Amino acid sequence: MVSPVLLIAVPLGLAFLVPLISLVSRRAAMLVPVVACLFNLVVAITLMPGVLDQPVVEKIGGFPPPFCINLYAGPVGVLFAALIALAGLGIAVYAMAYIRTGPVDRYHLLYLLLLVGATGVVLTGDVFNLFVFFEILCISSYALVAYMGNKSGLEASVKYLIQGAVGSGLLLMGIGLLYGQFGTLNMADIANRMGSVNQVSVFVPLALIISGLGVEAAIFPLNAWLPDAHSSAPSSISAILSGIAIEVGLYAMVRMIFTVFGATSILMFMVFLGALTLLLGELCAFAQSNVKRMLAYSSIGQIGLILFALAMATSYSVAGGLFQLLSHTLSKALLFLAAGYMIYRSGSMEISSLHGMGKRMPLTSLAFTIGAFSLVGLPPFVGFPSKFLIVRAALARQQSIFTILLGFVLLGTLIEGAYFFRVVQAIYFKKGSGETGRSYAPAVALVSMFIFAALIIFVGIYPQPVADAVGSAATELLDRAEYVRSVLQ
Amino acid sequence: MTVELLLGVALGGALLTYVLGKISPGLRNAFALLNALALVVMISLLYGQSFERALPLGFLGLELSVRMNMLSWFFAVTILGIGLLSVIYSLVYMRNKERLDYYYATLLFINASMLGTVVAGDLLSFFVFWEMMSWSTYLLISLRGGSKAIFAGIKYIVMSLIGSLTMLVAIVSLYVSFDTLSITELAGHVQSTTMGQALFVLVLFSVTFVIINALWPFHTWLPDAHAEAVSPFSAILSAVLVRKGLYGLYLLMYAMLGFSMLGKLAWGALSYSNVLAWIGAITIVFAAFRALMQNDSKRILAWSTVGQGGYMVLGVSVATNLGMAGGTFHILNHCIYIALLFFVAGAIEYRTGGIRDLDSLGGLIKRMPVAFVGGLVGICGLIGVPLTNGFVSKWLIYKSLVLEGRPFLAFAAFLGTWGTILYGYKFIHNIFLGQLPDRFRDVKGIPFTMAVPIVILTVLIFLFGVLPGIPLSVVDQVGTYLGFESLNVSIWGIPSETGTLNVVNLLAALAVAGFIVWLVLRAIGRSVSVDQDDTYAAGAAIPSGKYHYTVGFYSPLYRIVGPYVRDFVDAFFLKIAGWTGSVCGVTRKIYTGFVGNYVMYIILFLAALIFVQIAWSPW
Amino acid sequence: MSFLESYAYYVGAFGLILIGLLVILVKRNLIKIIIGLSILDTGVNLFLISVGYLASGTAPIFSREGIDSGSMVDPVPQALVLTAIVIGVAVLALALGLAVRLYQNYGTLDMRKIKELKW
Repeated sequence: MVSPVLLIAVPLGLAFLVPLISLVSRRAAMLVPVVACLFNLVVAITLMPGVLDQPVVEKIGGFPPPFCINLYAGPVGVLFAALIALAGLGIAVYAMAYIRTGPVDRYHLLYLLLLVGATGVVLTGDVFNLFVFFEILCISSYALVAYMGNKSGLEASVKYLIQGAVGSGLLLMGIGLLYGQFGTLNMADIANRMGSVNQVSVFVPLALIISGLGVEAAIFPLNAWLPDAHSSAPSSISAILSGIAIEVGLYAMVRMIFTVFGATSILMFMVFLGALTLLLGELCAFAQSNVKRMLAYSSIGQIGLILFALAMATSYSVAGGLFQLLSHTLSKALLFLAAGYMIYRSGSMEISSLHGMGKRMPLTSLAFTIGAFSLVGLPPFVGFPSKFLIVRAALARQQSIFTILLGFVLLGTLIEGAYFFRVVQAIYFKKGSGETGRSYAPAVALVSMFIFAALIIFVGIYPQPVADAVGSAATELLDRAEYVRSVLQ
Repeated sequence: MTVELLLGVALGGALLTYVLGKISPGLRNAFALLNALALVVMISLLYGQSFERALPLGFLGLELSVRMNMLSWFFAVTILGIGLLSVIYSLVYMRNKERLDYYYATLLFINASMLGTVVAGDLLSFFVFWEMMSWSTYLLISLRGGSKAIFAGIKYIVMSLIGSLTMLVAIVSLYVSFDTLSITELAGHVQSTTMGQALFVLVLFSVTFVIINALWPFHTWLPDAHAEAVSPFSAILSAVLVRKGLYGLYLLMYAMLGFSMLGKLAWGALSYSNVLAWIGAITIVFAAFRALMQNDSKRILAWSTVGQGGYMVLGVSVATNLGMAGGTFHILNHCIYIALLFFVAGAIEYRTGGIRDLDSLGGLIKRMPVAFVGGLVGICGLIGVPLTNGFVSKWLIYKSLVLEGRPFLAFAAFLGTWGTILYGYKFIHNIFLGQLPDRFRDVKGIPFTMAVPIVILTVLIFLFGVLPGIPLSVVDQVGTYLGFESLNVSIWGIPSETGTLNVVNLLAALAVAGFIVWLVLRAIGRSVSVDQDDTYAAGAAIPSGKYHYTVGFYSPLYRIVGPYVRDFVDAFFLKIAGWTGSVCGVTRKIYTGFVGNYVMYIILFLAALIFVQIAWSPW
Repeated sequence: MSFLESYAYYVGAFGLILIGLLVILVKRNLIKIIIGLSILDTGVNLFLISVGYLASGTAPIFSREGIDSGSMVDPVPQALVLTAIVIGVAVLALALGLAVRLYQNYGTLDMRKIKELKW
């Protein structure tokens, strides 16, 4: 049985090897993230069947919980770890061709650290450990946003950093208050003792933690950094930020609400917040003329949708939310990657400069189209089963408030459809003004886009394995007692 | 012969066509043709079979199934038949155009997904195929490029997305209640559901089907889309794609809800069928007037598609076996003559260099006789002139309306037909009659492969008009499948006490009348044939240039009715789109760009959370 | 007296946090905003330390016989603060580095003028 520690330790070790390797060969340094992600993917997939039956609780340092920092590799953790490794792999392959200028070795180092941070957040069972991994994730993403060193990248990075730092200050304060009340940092232990204290006094740390994690999870109104950062970063970084970073933030928040606090009373508020985030994100995206900014706002919308589903807190809805999260990761990563080379070739991020791309870059345009259709939730792409699950979950609540909210959610989907279809038309049917010659993206980048597109179509047609996995993940997230028992036994 | 194989061939053929196109255009064309032909042969072999079979692959724990019965077969035949003719027509029409691999592959893909919707045995696969149909259609509407075509595409997909989202909610609501999506199983369950849910589901489904069937007030996508698409595809759109909405209504009203439920959902005169019938009636009249005002050959046809959809809905919502047969038969007839007319309009466009403006065409009768005959017969079918197929179905619809005591609806239907006569005449006259503009002196006739579908459809119009028993026996089986009493169909029509239709008598009456007219003409004296110019100039010198004006057809009529038949629904929808745009423009202003504001949002959010907790402690 | 004695650290910590937030909110100069972040960070760290602080407590080491574990200072917050300080330094360094590059690009550090990315 492989240990889940490897999921964090190996990429972390490899990350710091990158500068050394690049002294020997720059090409080899580019391969390190690919190798690390491949390793993580294999480990996560080998772990998967086991944790579906029985979660693996890895005790670090040999003390029994709650005295040690423990890793909790349940279905949720391993599913997320696999998703991070998968998206990381695809994007790392793409970056081999895409990142050519600047300090390339540092890019790969930071990229791996980002992935380590994300994997750590989803696997850890300790609140402070979560904060540390979270900071690894955040700091490497601040730096990566500014990687190009251009005006907009720097501006976005600074703004992201300021908001992120305020957010992590709030988070740390919330953790401190929790420690003050419970004298422990172990999630299961806190959850176990949650019933013994006054609910009002727990609320302040809860509010602090929601606000702190909400900044990274990009919930309205804490998401003002996102459109700047995602649109100014290099496209591969936009892909990983949209596909992984904000999802991990959302995961951490949901884990806190569901497992640590068991705060069922705040869930209705989160449902509203999710619907609001979705609508505002889609409305802003509709008004954009910059394609990457449009994709960034659409990520806000999707986060809102995922939050909406997760906060409904039924097994269907959480499964639907996690499925939507997965489909968003795949689709949005593909969209950013495809947009990256289209922008690279046309030299501008304006949608109007993408006119005629369907002829110039047929394969990349096809990839963009698949991603867009999947995000809107059209069959036979992966967005459809997740949309189906969410709609089913909302209607299964049998309450008119959820039906009405579902109406707003679907309105958001409609707006999303409208702007994505507009871009697809611009790519295929509008006449480009400039060059018309064929210019394919590099083969490596096309391979990476092909991986995502193939997964989108495959899971869209045959969603059963993923549906099973997210189903048991949903059970884990909702079953607080089981989580406590399996850690503290 | 199984349905799975049929679907597989259809979908696989579409993809293979694209691949083959990369190898050789000739191979691609041959394969596309062969594929469409094979599908037609396969569906004919499935005639009369009735079965339902689960697909090997489920979806999220749901069993998917396909089925074949008379209803599916009827729609499948129209889809595949028009698909074949459209491919034949495209061979020449689309030659020398760009992106042909894409065109053929998408065309076949659309056909395959339409086929999928009608053979789907459960609502989930129905929805999946429906969505595939929607997006692939969107991908083909704008093929021509240009701002109008692009606008048409976005208009279509947004309305279609509204429809599919409402349908998704309806389907999932059924799934949540009954834990199955198989249409046959649902039919049993739905009978026992509450009125509220039945109404909820019915309204949501109806929105979808009304949108795709382009009934007022959701018709607005159709005129743009049909006019801007390439003509062979316009034919598919008008003839079969739009009628998926009716297939949906059939499923919903008769295969699932059934009469008892429909009967219960009524508050006095305000019953579902009545509302639907009135929507149909409004659509007929409104579309007829709108069509009159068009000056674009394809736009006239597009508006007539809207109007004819109204007739079908009238027939269907009357819900007697006669009305049902009329509605169903009208679907088939409309499919035949509207495809024919789009083929004719396309041929004119092809030979005149893309001209669709009726004011600048004219006199092409001698240059393009095949197109003229096709157009004339098509228009006769559209109007419902006796001995063409349109007469039979319209007669059935009128008869059922009159028998059911719905004089106002019948009047609306008649009014629509008068409008149809007027715009039909405009279509024929402005294209084929009158003076031939100089620049069209050298226009050639229709190329052979484009003439083939036109001739086939022309023959079919007469065949089904003279021997309506052939299609009516199928139509009657559709009715009996849906639970209607069987009509007594003979090869010449329907001899029954409720409404006798016998085309033999008609033929005889027409022959006698024709003979009398001939005799009278004989008796009056000999006629001399004169040149058209002489008729116009009354023997004086013939003016140079254009002297035979066909511009401003019906302009007095426009002056009277014009202010009342503006497409205000369309304007309203565009306003909504504009408002959405400005709301978006305002919303994005929250992100001011100053980082201090952003931090303020974070702190305000935190403060609001804590304040609300302290003040009301709602959670 | 007893209130101040037992809560002085908390008051100080929250005072620092509020000052930090205020600075971030009202200042336009990026360097001042970064200073505000640093003050905020210090406040949070002080808060963490005071959670585990015990007046006249001993070091949490069983260095000799007879030490009562109840009179020890809680060691965990100190470990946390060490980590938090390191993270804070990393963020600070990165922020200052970015500020330098931003100044080179824009010629100003006024965040009200650095508003190319908006809406």
